[in-house]
Amino acid sequence: MNAVRLLGFRCIGLVALAVIGFAFPAGAQKYIGERMELLPDSLVPRMSVTEQIVDLLGWQPLDVAVPNLGNSSEVYWLRLKLDAATEAGSLLEIQNATIDELSCFIVCDGEVITAYGDGESHRSGQDSQLGTYPSFAVPLATECTDLEVLIRVQSGKPLLLPVRIAGHKEVIRDAHQRDVFFAAYFGIIFVMLLYNLFLYFSVGDRNYLWYAMYIVTVGGAQLVLNGYAGLLSVDEWPWLERRLVHFMGVFSGVATIVFARDFLDLPKRVPWLNTVMYVYLGIYGLAFLLALFGWMTWSYNLINFCALAIFLLIPGAIVSMRQGFRPARYFLIAWMFFIVAVLVFVLKDSSVIPFNQWTFFALPVGNAIEVVLLSLALASRINEMKQEATKAKEQQLRLAQQNERMVSNQNRLLEDRVRERTLELQQANGELENTLSELKTAQQQLLQQEKLASIGQLTAGIAHELNNPINFVSSSSASLKRDFEDVEEVLKRVMALQPDSEGLHEEVRALRERMEELDLEFTQEEIVQLLKGIEDGAGRTAEIVKGLRIFGRVDGDAFAPAQLNELLESTLVILRSSLRDQVAIDLELEADLPLVRCQAGRLNQVFMNMITNAAHATMERKDLAPEDRLIYIQSKKVEEGGKKWVIIRIEDNGIGMAEDVRMQIFDPFFTTKAVGEGTGLGLSIVMGILSDHHAEVDVQSAPQRGTAFTLTFTA
Amino acid sequence: MIHVLYLDDESHNLTAFRAAFRRVFKVHVTTEPTEAVQLLREHPIEVVISDQKMPSLSGVEFFELIMSDFPDPIRMLLTGHADIDAVIDAINKGQIYKYISKPWNEAELQALVEEAAGQFRRKRTVQQEGDRMIQQMRQAKELAAWIVEVTASGGAVTPEIHEKAKKIDELLS
Repeated sequence: MNAVRLLGFRCIGLVALAVIGFAFPAGAQKYIGERMELLPDSLVPRMSVTEQIVDLLGWQPLDVAVPNLGNSSEVYWLRLKLDAATEAGSLLEIQNATIDELSCFIVCDGEVITAYGDGESHRSGQDSQLGTYPSFAVPLATECTDLEVLIRVQSGKPLLLPVRIAGHKEVIRDAHQRDVFFAAYFGIIFVMLLYNLFLYFSVGDRNYLWYAMYIVTVGGAQLVLNGYAGLLSVDEWPWLERRLVHFMGVFSGVATIVFARDFLDLPKRVPWLNTVMYVYLGIYGLAFLLALFGWMTWSYNLINFCALAIFLLIPGAIVSMRQGFRPARYFLIAWMFFIVAVLVFVLKDSSVIPFNQWTFFALPVGNAIEVVLLSLALASRINEMKQEATKAKEQQLRLAQQNERMVSNQNRLLEDRVRERTLELQQANGELENTLSELKTAQQQLLQQEKLASIGQLTAGIAHELNNPINFVSSSSASLKRDFEDVEEVLKRVMALQPDSEGLHEEVRALRERMEELDLEFTQEEIVQLLKGIEDGAGRTAEIVKGLRIFGRVDGDAFAPAQLNELLESTLVILRSSLRDQVAIDLELEADLPLVRCQAGRLNQVFMNMITNAAHATMERKDLAPEDRLIYIQSKKVEEGGKKWVIIRIEDNGIGMAEDVRMQIFDPFFTTKAVGEGTGLGLSIVMGILSDHHAEVDVQSAPQRGTAFTLTFTA
Repeated sequence: MIHVLYLDDESHNLTAFRAAFRRVFKVHVTTEPTEAVQLLREHPIEVVISDQKMPSLSGVEFFELIMSDFPDPIRMLLTGHADIDAVIDAINKGQIYKYISKPWNEAELQALVEEAAGQFRRKRTVQQEGDRMIQQMRQAKELAAWIVEVTASGGAVTPEIHEKAKKIDELLS
């Protein structure tokens, strides 16, 4: 809405400007084409003198106010009869600023009285030029009966000849009016150029740059067409001057195509037209080259042909508009102005409509309006773009929001999944923990079993060891009591004997008989034996109990210094009964072994386990007699650099192990025994205990040769 | 007196056993199985007691050893701790009469030995009675054969025949 209103205001301003522009040259000008005669140079004999030409035959009258000699590069001669009485002293003005060569001769009664130019360039006519148009002063030759003007023209551009005769004041006034008009026009162009350049630099949209180029070239073309090129001192370079109109035509055409193509977004919206535009660009290039090499007429024709491109842009804009591209509408309106102006210009040139100030100024006015409108269109386009960008941004935002929603949904889903998984994991973890605790329990049970097994072994051993001494001690004491009763009986009777008794002899004999009867001699001997047995039994019991006490520290977990020899001996006490007569034990213990900080009870378990294993291994050796099945147990100390070690070696000549078995003996549940006979935990527990003691363990074994365990403890 | 043989590798046990039972039984003790066999030969042993756990051979093995030569004496196994395998072994092979665990109860052991001896004696008595009856049957058969031979020739019943028939009657009663 805003843009439209703005456009409205600007249009009003523009129309006002145009009206002001038109108001200046409001006075009608009279062109004198009807009075002129034409003679092509081709009909003029070579080496003719100017005076001769005037009188040549073949002059053709021109019956139009503004003759149009077309675009032919030919040299033409024009003849004009003047009324010496009224027209001498006035100015002859040719309102065409793009004539390449222009010479003018004033002939009085067959004699040239004044010559402007040498026929090579219209530059020479500048001497008397009062405005942008060439003008020639007619001398005050009132005495002449035949006052004629001979004009020689040649141009690579359409040769339109609005010629008039006017007073100095009039010409100057009109020139000033035109200058003012074009100043306004160029002002608009300049402002638009600055405006769009500013926009280009601030917005950065390439369209503004193309548009600025378009304005420059179109404005430049107007500049050149209307004779203001002189302001740029192009007349210093005649070569360029002759081609300036062509070049400006090419440049403005190219700029128009480039700008329109980009503005209407032809490559995307109207591809076929885009292709056509490329063709036009090619033709423009060709026209440029032709102009460069001097084929001025052909170049100009090509440029004119290319001007058709501006008509083709109309359907392009319509298609683009139909596609909903709103700026195309402004483009269309602006373009219509321009096309109308161009049509007027062309129709004026082809004398379809009269050549006058209105038609003359139609092109710059239309062009100015178009420039302004296009600028508005461009602004609208930018707005549109902005809106589109905003829409795109909104769309993006919507998409982003949608994405975010999706992502958050996804996140929620993921979170749910994670939560689910976590729950599952927790459950799994719980199950694992249960399993673990079950396993631990099982392990505990197994350890307990192993412990119980060793306790069972222990109690069985102890029971047997204790049973024998207890048996004969208790039995012997009962027998001793009876024996002593016999002895006591005899002793009492002996004590009752009176030395001075009469029947002493008789009593002694009876006592002897009783002693014989009781076999007291044997009883005496027996008592000694029984006492010895009791003493022996008591001693053995004490020894066992002592061993038991040492061994019995099964759960003594505290580290305390201990004599490893004692531990080995106590273990052997426990094992003696089960090993006796099965295996020979060779004990070699070093006497002054340093004490080792250890858990005595647990080390006993180690020794018992190892000695039992050794015994089992040797008992498997059926090829050996019981007395040849050997277990060698050694203890010794090693001292080095102030450090002490105790080495315990338990060696047997049993069945030994293969390497693969040896590697696994400390693995839990590894056993070579039949199912149910061993837990497979013995040595793994041993290993645990030994590593708690930081003891080094070395195992050497050879099948059918035996095994040796060497344990090294730090003292 | 009942002859008891006790084999144990623990000499103190032997001493204690003899001291306990020498007043009631005729006790023979030894630590050596070979000597035990010798004693079995030399004395009318009625009850044999052996320790199960011995270095050279076990009690059950000892009983197996003497089984063929001396099947009659009642065998009793004495063991320090419940060596259940040995007991099962012994009972299955029917070699032992009773199983005694150490430490023994003197009265119980005495009663067991006496009971075993009673068993042995009853067995011996039954055997002797059987032998005697078989002998009588054999005599009766011989007499009967003579009578059949004499009477077959158709001779009269002589007082000799009569006497012999009477003797058969006595033998079979």
